[in-house]
Amino acid sequence: MDLILQQTVNAFALGGTYALLALGLAVVFSIMGLINFAHGELMTIAGYVLMYCGLAGFPFVLSVALAVSAAVAAAVLMERIAFRPVRNASGATMLVTSFAIAMILQVLFQNLISARSQAVVLPQFLSDSVQFGGLIIGVNKIAAIAATVIMLVFLDRFMKHQKTGIAMRASAEDFAVARLMGIRANTVIAGAFALSGLLAGVAAVLWVSQRASVDPLMGFTPVLKAFIAAILGGLGSLRGAVAGGFLLGFIEIYLAAFLPQELQEFRDPIGLCIVVAVLLFRPNGLIPSLALKAEKV
Amino acid sequence: MITSPRTHMLAALSAIIAGAVGTALIASFLGPAAERIVTVFFISLIGVVGIGIYSGNSGILSFGHVAFMAIGAYVSALLTLPSQLKIATLPNLPEWLATTEMGLLPATVIAMAVTGLVALLVGAAIGRLEGSAATISTLGLLIIVHGVIIGWRDVTRGAQSFFGVPRETGIWTAVAGVIVALVLARLYRDSISGLRLRAGRENAIAASAVGINIPRERLISFVLAGMTMALAGALLAHFLGAFSPKKFYFNDTFLLLAMLIVGGMSTITGAVTGAVIITLVTEVLRRLESGLSIGGIELPAVFGTTQIGIGLIILLAMFRKPEGLAGLKEWEERLFPPAAAGNAAPAMPKAHASTPLVAKGMTMRFGGLVAVSNVSLTLQPGEILGLIGPNGSGKTTLLNMLSGVLQPSEGTVTQGSVDLTGIPSHEVADHGIARTFQNIRLFPDLTVHQNVLVAALSTRGGAEAEERAQAALTELGVAALAGENAGNLSYGDQRRVEIARALACQPTLLFLDEPAAGMNREETDALMETLRGVTRNLGIGILMVDHDLALINQLCDRLAVLNEGKLIAQGTPAEVRQDPAVIEAYLGPGKLSSKKNTKPQGQPGRKPELAG
Repeated sequence: MDLILQQTVNAFALGGTYALLALGLAVVFSIMGLINFAHGELMTIAGYVLMYCGLAGFPFVLSVALAVSAAVAAAVLMERIAFRPVRNASGATMLVTSFAIAMILQVLFQNLISARSQAVVLPQFLSDSVQFGGLIIGVNKIAAIAATVIMLVFLDRFMKHQKTGIAMRASAEDFAVARLMGIRANTVIAGAFALSGLLAGVAAVLWVSQRASVDPLMGFTPVLKAFIAAILGGLGSLRGAVAGGFLLGFIEIYLAAFLPQELQEFRDPIGLCIVVAVLLFRPNGLIPSLALKAEKV
Repeated sequence: MITSPRTHMLAALSAIIAGAVGTALIASFLGPAAERIVTVFFISLIGVVGIGIYSGNSGILSFGHVAFMAIGAYVSALLTLPSQLKIATLPNLPEWLATTEMGLLPATVIAMAVTGLVALLVGAAIGRLEGSAATISTLGLLIIVHGVIIGWRDVTRGAQSFFGVPRETGIWTAVAGVIVALVLARLYRDSISGLRLRAGRENAIAASAVGINIPRERLISFVLAGMTMALAGALLAHFLGAFSPKKFYFNDTFLLLAMLIVGGMSTITGAVTGAVIITLVTEVLRRLESGLSIGGIELPAVFGTTQIGIGLIILLAMFRKPEGLAGLKEWEERLFPPAAAGNAAPAMPKAHASTPLVAKGMTMRFGGLVAVSNVSLTLQPGEILGLIGPNGSGKTTLLNMLSGVLQPSEGTVTQGSVDLTGIPSHEVADHGIARTFQNIRLFPDLTVHQNVLVAALSTRGGAEAEERAQAALTELGVAALAGENAGNLSYGDQRRVEIARALACQPTLLFLDEPAAGMNREETDALMETLRGVTRNLGIGILMVDHDLALINQLCDRLAVLNEGKLIAQGTPAEVRQDPAVIEAYLGPGKLSSKKNTKPQGQPGRKPELAG
């Protein structure tokens, strides 16, 4: 029983990080149809800023704020420089553009920083743990869950009550009509990228605080997972992205904990088989995007 | 059968053979280093067109086909590996496999067959998925196959290098392979199945409505693509001699996809262009990467120049040419545009003798909203039935249920003894019911001729398809536009092409959803003449939705009126015009009854033309 509870906490912590990343992908996808593979590089940028701030001896709160701001700035720049020219192109074209950006950034990290993994100085309290009854939970896990909840609440309020958030939701349902209503395309898209950068930055801090290191390819795996989570939840649907992120976190943690030893090396294939099986029953994801229903025959 | 002109095919195939052989001759003249580069290039090209066979024609981006390359590599290598080495390095291999040793050709053929079988199973499982769900399941396939290869140590040596494979792939083997792959891909693109799949890529709903079974065509291309990837894998394995699962993972997937998309996904010309450009850039930059001296100035070696260069080339190509460098047409299609149709168009074939279409108790609910409620209709062969009603009264929904686009919540549709209730749209089309759409659904990147031809090929067993297509184009007066891309036509012409496409299905019944929308008076009159001719001469029954009441009144034998999902009147136009329920639906209450009525007149959204 304790093991199950323990793993459930782990699953929430991991699933929350996936959910934040998947949300970042979904915010951009729902508006411009781009699956941004360079989202992982936003994470890497935030990770490196955290590392340099740690080396400079900044207080942790300041380091986190700088890291997240760096990810936001990088996301907005990425949109302005690389994605604006291909804004109206097909999904495949935008996807390949994002591959290219990811590739260029990775090589730059390797050349300008280091090809090897770098240690990140983290405050001591993150590696402590707290005891609840029979449960021992790491502070970093609690922080991850808390940060996820705060971000989700913030995002929910932003999307429902802020003018820009409402404009984004309108644009996600029908971009052409939203523009005719006077919503500025550049503002909405830049806003979506800023938001995705914010989510990637927070996710990066959570990710790094579990591992205490950064490397040039750091962002690849989590974003690949987030991509899977976003589609599992229903690509373009924000609630779906959260649901998909948590479900994927649960699948991974439970398989790691409860799969027999001899099957452990088939863990990823088995996890993906489950994902594909879910998709076969719900081809548009757990919570399909509204834009899918809008198509009239 | 091939659906494009013979001159195109001859030009394309001879260019493929001449290009491959010519490149190889130049390479062998330049020496072994050039030979190696060209061999690798040819193998990549096989992989690129392999992905293109599926992704290009179906429009679904696949991350998974490199997994089939891996299967092809491992299967073929297991068959050609010398028996003694196999026993030494893979002691747990089953006896029959350990003692098997064969040449590259049979091993490649077997590898392709095995991979084809795997692709058939995978494709059948994930074939129902659309768009991004399909893409993610192919990504899943890549990770799953990679995981299985690493885990299945007894057969694959796990993550370790699989070595000792005879290096039998020389440049001429690669030439043979690349010719097979390119010819296969080019033939498939313009085969009946390829054309159907491309129509499905352009507009899935319309493709089903002209009788195309999209999942089946997708499966065919998925398997063909898988087998082509296996060919690339087998050749690569026997070129390298030693390889590990990492060789068939994300890096190569991204590289092949980049080649495909930079060149242009939907053509063979594009695949070749992309592969050539990225290979050339890679080779040039690789030399720069190790440092260079130009005129005495030493350039420093910069690690990763190649990757940055490829990245920049991709960005540049995508910024300039988002559709890919080669665009949407093959080179020979640009160079020799198809001639306009011959003037001796055959006559439209008569509709098959048919029984009335009977719809009973049709009901459609969307959540709590009842869009159509208990509507019963009969459509006789050779008559024109007009379906009218205010906006939102359920006309299009009814049409969608009758044509199989929507599954009715309740009710039955029968034609004679055939029950058409709930069968998929492409089978409805094959039962002789063709339709057009309110918001035009053509296949915009196919030519007008291909739009109509694919419909003829997918109905009535495809018999005399070319003749039916020509006849339909002539009937609607759009034969002169046959070579144009459908997406470039004016609105009225698009409507006419859509009707021609429906007629090419040789239907007994034709459903038209607002056929005259966007046409001026003269065009509407001409359309009316055409439709009259179709019913009178060919015996086709028409069910028509339109808001142009002049058209409806003059053309229709009978009218059915819907309001708020219910059938409120049926009869000749004259009868319907007098019907109190109809007048109330269109003009609001009060027009007829006492002046004491309190409701306001002329509710918003209602159309007042009926009385006028």
